Amino acid sequence: MDRKVKEQKRHQQKHSGPKVEKKKLKRQGGSAEDDERKRNPKAFAVQSAVRMAKTFHRAQDIKTKKHHIPLVDRTPLEPPPVVIVVVGPPKVGKSTLIRCLIKNFTRQKLGDICGPVTVVSGKKRRLTFMECNNDINTMIDLAKVADLVLMLIDASFGFEMETFEFLNICQVHGFPRIMGVLTHLDSFKNNKTLRKTKKNLKHRFWTEVYQGAKLFYLSGMVYGEYQTQEVKNLGRFISVMKFRPLVWQTSHPYVLVDRMEDLTDPERFRTDPRCDRTVSLYGYLRGTHLKNKGQVHIPGVGDFEVADVNFLPDPCSLPDAQKKRALNEKERLLYAPMAGVGGVVYDKDAVYIDLPASHVKQQQEEVRPTTELVQSLIDTHATVDAKMAASEVSLFSGSATLDPADIDEQSEVKEEEQAWDPNTQRNRRKVVFAEKEEGSDVSGSSDEDEDDESDDGDQEEDEDEDNLSTFLKEARAKSDTSKKNVREPPQVKKQKLEERKEEIPVFADSEDELEMSEEEGEAGRPGDSGNCSEESDDDEEAEDDNDENSEDEVEFPRHNHNSAEFILLFLSTGALKWKDGLQQKASEAFLRQQEADPNLRKLVYGPVVEAENGAGEEEELGGLFRVSRPQNSKKVQANAFDCSRFHPDTSHNWDLEEMLNSIRDCFVTGKWEEGQDAATLLKEDEELYGDFEDMETGEVHKGQTGQQDPAEVGPVYLQNSENDDHDDEVEERLVKANDDEVQKKKRMEKKRRLKERFDAEYDDGDATYFDDLKEEMQKQAELNRAEFEDVDDGTRVQYEGFRPGMYVRLEIPSLPCEFVTNFDPHYPIILGGLSSSEGNIGYLQMRLKKHRWHNRILKTRDPLILSLGWRRFQTIPLYHIEDHNGRHRLLKYTPQHMHCGASIWGPVTPQGTGFLAVQSVAGTKANFRIAATGVILDLDKSVTVVKKLKLIGYPSKIFKNTCFVKGMFNTVLEVAKFEGASVRTVSGIRGQIKKALSTPPGAYRATFEDRLLMSDIVFLRSWYPVSVPQLYNPVTSLLLPVGQKDSWAGMRTLGQLKHDLGIRTKPNTDSLYKPVVRAQRRFNPLHIPKELQKALPFKSKPKQQQPKGKMPRDLQRPTVIREPQEKKVAALAAYQTQGVPAAEKKQEEAKLKRHKEARKKLYRVMGQMDQKRQRSSLKGAPQDD
Amino acid sequence: MASHGLAYDGCNFFRQRLVLSTLSGKRVKIKNIRSKDDDPGLRDFEASFIRLLDKVTNGSRIEINQTGTVLFYQPGLLSGGPVEHDCNTQRSIGYYLEALLMLAPFMKTPLRATLKGVTNDPLDPTVDLLKSTALPLMKTFGIDGEGFDLKVVKRGMAPGGGGEVVFTCPVRRTIRPVQLTDPGKIKRIRGVAYSVRVSPQMANRLVESTRSILNKFIPDIYIYTDHMKGANSGKSPGFGLTLVAETLNGSFLSAEMSSTPQGQGGPILPEDLGRNCAKMLLEEVYRGGCVDSSNQSLALLLMTLGQQDVSKVLLGPLSPYTIEFLRHIKDFFQTMFKIEVQKPSEDERKGGDKVLMTCVGVGYSNINKTIK
Repeated sequence: MDRKVKEQKRHQQKHSGPKVEKKKLKRQGGSAEDDERKRNPKAFAVQSAVRMAKTFHRAQDIKTKKHHIPLVDRTPLEPPPVVIVVVGPPKVGKSTLIRCLIKNFTRQKLGDICGPVTVVSGKKRRLTFMECNNDINTMIDLAKVADLVLMLIDASFGFEMETFEFLNICQVHGFPRIMGVLTHLDSFKNNKTLRKTKKNLKHRFWTEVYQGAKLFYLSGMVYGEYQTQEVKNLGRFISVMKFRPLVWQTSHPYVLVDRMEDLTDPERFRTDPRCDRTVSLYGYLRGTHLKNKGQVHIPGVGDFEVADVNFLPDPCSLPDAQKKRALNEKERLLYAPMAGVGGVVYDKDAVYIDLPASHVKQQQEEVRPTTELVQSLIDTHATVDAKMAASEVSLFSGSATLDPADIDEQSEVKEEEQAWDPNTQRNRRKVVFAEKEEGSDVSGSSDEDEDDESDDGDQEEDEDEDNLSTFLKEARAKSDTSKKNVREPPQVKKQKLEERKEEIPVFADSEDELEMSEEEGEAGRPGDSGNCSEESDDDEEAEDDNDENSEDEVEFPRHNHNSAEFILLFLSTGALKWKDGLQQKASEAFLRQQEADPNLRKLVYGPVVEAENGAGEEEELGGLFRVSRPQNSKKVQANAFDCSRFHPDTSHNWDLEEMLNSIRDCFVTGKWEEGQDAATLLKEDEELYGDFEDMETGEVHKGQTGQQDPAEVGPVYLQNSENDDHDDEVEERLVKANDDEVQKKKRMEKKRRLKERFDAEYDDGDATYFDDLKEEMQKQAELNRAEFEDVDDGTRVQYEGFRPGMYVRLEIPSLPCEFVTNFDPHYPIILGGLSSSEGNIGYLQMRLKKHRWHNRILKTRDPLILSLGWRRFQTIPLYHIEDHNGRHRLLKYTPQHMHCGASIWGPVTPQGTGFLAVQSVAGTKANFRIAATGVILDLDKSVTVVKKLKLIGYPSKIFKNTCFVKGMFNTVLEVAKFEGASVRTVSGIRGQIKKALSTPPGAYRATFEDRLLMSDIVFLRSWYPVSVPQLYNPVTSLLLPVGQKDSWAGMRTLGQLKHDLGIRTKPNTDSLYKPVVRAQRRFNPLHIPKELQKALPFKSKPKQQQPKGKMPRDLQRPTVIREPQEKKVAALAAYQTQGVPAAEKKQEEAKLKRHKEARKKLYRVMGQMDQKRQRSSLKGAPQDD
Repeated sequence: MASHGLAYDGCNFFRQRLVLSTLSGKRVKIKNIRSKDDDPGLRDFEASFIRLLDKVTNGSRIEINQTGTVLFYQPGLLSGGPVEHDCNTQRSIGYYLEALLMLAPFMKTPLRATLKGVTNDPLDPTVDLLKSTALPLMKTFGIDGEGFDLKVVKRGMAPGGGGEVVFTCPVRRTIRPVQLTDPGKIKRIRGVAYSVRVSPQMANRLVESTRSILNKFIPDIYIYTDHMKGANSGKSPGFGLTLVAETLNGSFLSAEMSSTPQGQGGPILPEDLGRNCAKMLLEEVYRGGCVDSSNQSLALLLMTLGQQDVSKVLLGPLSPYTIEFLRHIKDFFQTMFKIEVQKPSEDERKGGDKVLMTCVGVGYSNINKTIK
């Protein structure tokens, strides 16, 4: 680290001149004035301790809030391109924006944006743009891999649901950086409305993302593009942005595939068009280290085993470190194979040349400096056939020449491959290396057909190799002493060839690679009891092209990165210069290898493990016997005694003195290292702390710097008496009080040093736990970087896996054919790596909450599509809630606004992973598609969800508190299981099941806390375990035909099914709502006995309460019917007599009443006072309450 | 969901395979178990081991064919909790405990295993050895805290057994990476001399003879004598010695020996045993490294299961068991170790060659542990 920091030019401080004078003045005079605290101490005095405490707390709170848990920084030195996902509803300008940005970064125009587009944006950063369409599948997938989201919003329309859906998806799967971009701002004519809209949108956006989130404005279009300056600004923002590590992404390797090739044998899919395809997928590895032969999930397709991974040269590499600010034109690379850019593509076994009709050649040259190569390849075309016809290919002198049938087959293959045009509408031809057929590692190439030049080259090389082989044979014969690599002569020739094949590239490379090649060649045959073979181990078989020289192919995956260079070398030199002295080099390397010590690594992982068993001699003696050997001894070994004890080496005799001496230094009593030796440490200390001056006597004690008197030597020295080298050190006796000056200086110096040391130890006083943790992480990160830094990539990937930032090629052997036939580059293909146990399946328990914008609650056992981890799958959840006793009670529906538990059968995913649920991924029918969100809590192989079950019985016989209950169970056995269980009646009387009765079966005796009625119903509350339906149905949306990829439909819900089939359930008539008809209730008259009546007070006597009966007829008076005239008179009379005075009368009455009230009040108060007085006089003391 | 399985031949390294299978979630099939033997199939102790595995896991599927020569194991999830197991007396508890040590930190609930059987026999690492070396080793990996303990309740010698051990272990979500590159110098030697159903004097005689050898190196030696009586003494007589050398940097090297089981071979003098054991300790010191030779595999496993960081550990020469374990780790976790031999320099007197093992953890997280 320190070395990297460049030494800056020191500031030259002025020592004279007016400026210095000024400064000096300022320093002298200013010190008193400047310090306000000193000048005005009152203003800074503590006014309130409470307030001070508060401010302190607040400051601390803010400080701690800033802390995040420190994580080890695992970002690689050369990070993969940043994934920028451009999202937005349709017609908002996504493609236009990407096009503009690409133009901004690379000065190139891209027509159709298909698949990921990678560009170099600066000296240290590359960007991968990916457009996200409106399909929720795509949105989910891309949210998982995005580093930055450009969220396009049509300002003229406002927010659309897609935007919020995407935001919610992001929130669940870790929140990548999100930048809003407002487009269609030119549609606003009124400036004020524009401003207002901007503000509104901004604030809404802030509430979703975070306060102050960046929102970009693209004001308008110029010639169908956004304004250059605005795009440039956006680009700048992007290229300096920092990203936060997301948990899921940093713990899983993943590849956003930017290229796909079908490697299936053409013959196979000619015969069976629907056969499983072998496909190689390419892309930058992101996230974390990827192990070879791991498991990956391709969202939208399924889980697959990776047959092989290898890394390729970076197609869009960062510029070399140079001291300049901007990139030059050649460094502004653009890589987008799916969009048809990129000119020439080197694969491990082929070169693809892309000749798009629309592209100008110049441009290509700009992009790819290797165009000359292509040109030359095209030029050689003419001579191919003739030369090919002339050449008879024999691989090695010893081996048979390739028979015509073979060649025929190959040529057939070639034609197939030439004709092969994968569903991309591009004029694309595959150049097949001659090498592929010939099986040499070095290859010539041609544009269309076999290249005679390369064939010639091969021949030459074959001869070389022939010589080499004979030479090797000799060499082997000579160095017979070593054990490894000894192959029995009479073995099949082919195998020997293979062996040599593997070694050849090694000579050119390092030793490590050699090990690797050997190891890979011997894969599946590791060692003594190694007898292990992976079930899906035969990646090599998968690869070979059903021709005989399949072995030769085995080695390709390792050398692919070389092949391109080889070709270049080939063409530039014309001659095979690199082959000069090959033989010599090879022999040297071979001998070196033979003589080397048995490498421990090879011993453990490699093929030479037999050596350690002592069986090596046998092996050496006769390669002849080797074939039969493992059969015998292996079995014995395989069933050997399983013990971890490591029995001691018998060769060591611990009675001997030299053996004992050989471990002397392992003990504290032994000799110490130079730096840790107590004597030296003490001496150091002495130098530092040894001398002091006695202030009273003025005597100066000097620390011993050199020789000491034996008397002075402390006990520690005695112990280390063997360490007597200090005797012959500097002979310097101190001279007392000779020159005080020197002494003083020395003392000062020492004091200073002491203080420095003290400061270093104690002065970083703020070092908290947090700081320590951070430092620890920092150290670990440095170690991680440094550990494998100087190891070459081929070996390094074996130790730590493929590291993020590498351009990798993954081969997947058995993809469904629809993946290839229905391939649509607009849809992202993601390879999500799975850790070892994530491929399994089990029960998942999670916490779930219905999304508040989803307008329906969710029903238990309705299928739901979950996006969890990399996966999208349909499953059947059971919702439940935890009771206070820890029981998981089944719910029929999710609560409206509350979390509940959910149990599903699904893929094992680490706890704490977020998920989201949608009801269907087809179309955009729903208002808001995200139905629920949540988090995984627990994984298990069984569930504990129960539902309530009430068993009902009826009393058959009632004794006092005992009752016979029937109808709850069917057999005695059932009752026996429930003996002692508590039961209850509807009226709330509790009881207990005692014992079964013999008849009727299922009846039992129960006791209750009270006497039951025959009309009571007895019930037993119990809990019944529910099983979770085992449905795990991955959403295979990528396999659907082009154009229908957003129409995946899985299992339907019961409601949907009924709706679709037109089935209506007949409801239980009891549950139907009917108008409530209430019968008139009649009550019997209350009968009060005469005796009681007598005792009642008068007003309560029933006679008084009884309504007056009908007047007897004789008492009834006839009604007077007045004539109209009389009526008028009567009315007038009444008016005269009652009319006006009536009101007066009323007033008077009211007055009287008031008076009466007042008097009453008065009396009451007086009475109370009286009472009080009386009471107090009675009791003697005022003891009021 | 075709998580592919692995297939093996023969019953050797039986525990490794099942333990790694359980941790990685990969199913495993072991064929030809003693198929050529007169007594083919799984032995009782292996069956007992499978039963123990079944007790600590939930949802494991174990299929054994009629003759017991083929075993299919599909691992479930590690559940933990209180487990009681009667270990078969053909092997000592150490055999079972070694596997449990590897599994225990990754359970759903903290494990509390009560194992009954033979605590000490000459074949396997004894419980005393594991207690004094494996536990401190695991502590360096961050498996620490309350309830991390191994307690010998009763001591039972081979062949009768009758011992009892309680092992408790907390659960961890992740394992810390370690850098154990410097073992440091040995500062003290401790040990336990145990005797059951024989004269208590035996232990003292063991101590005496051991000290006679080790005193040449270091004075700080203390060997506890542990004589168990009555119900705690198991069913068979015997005695033995476990020695542990502790270094300044907190690594532990150990050696042990126990008397030959009753009725198997001739008697052994405690003096001889003590001396031999001391020599074995010297041998162990000669091998050196930060980890005891019988715990190499445990250390390597915990390194593999660590965070995605570089872990380093210095070991003595790799035992055959460890070498096989490395291969198995490669099968199950695709992790390879960088193996570097460190030769001692000329003037150093620190024993033989050491091996520096380096690896990058797989970023394993305990998927069994519940979060609330």
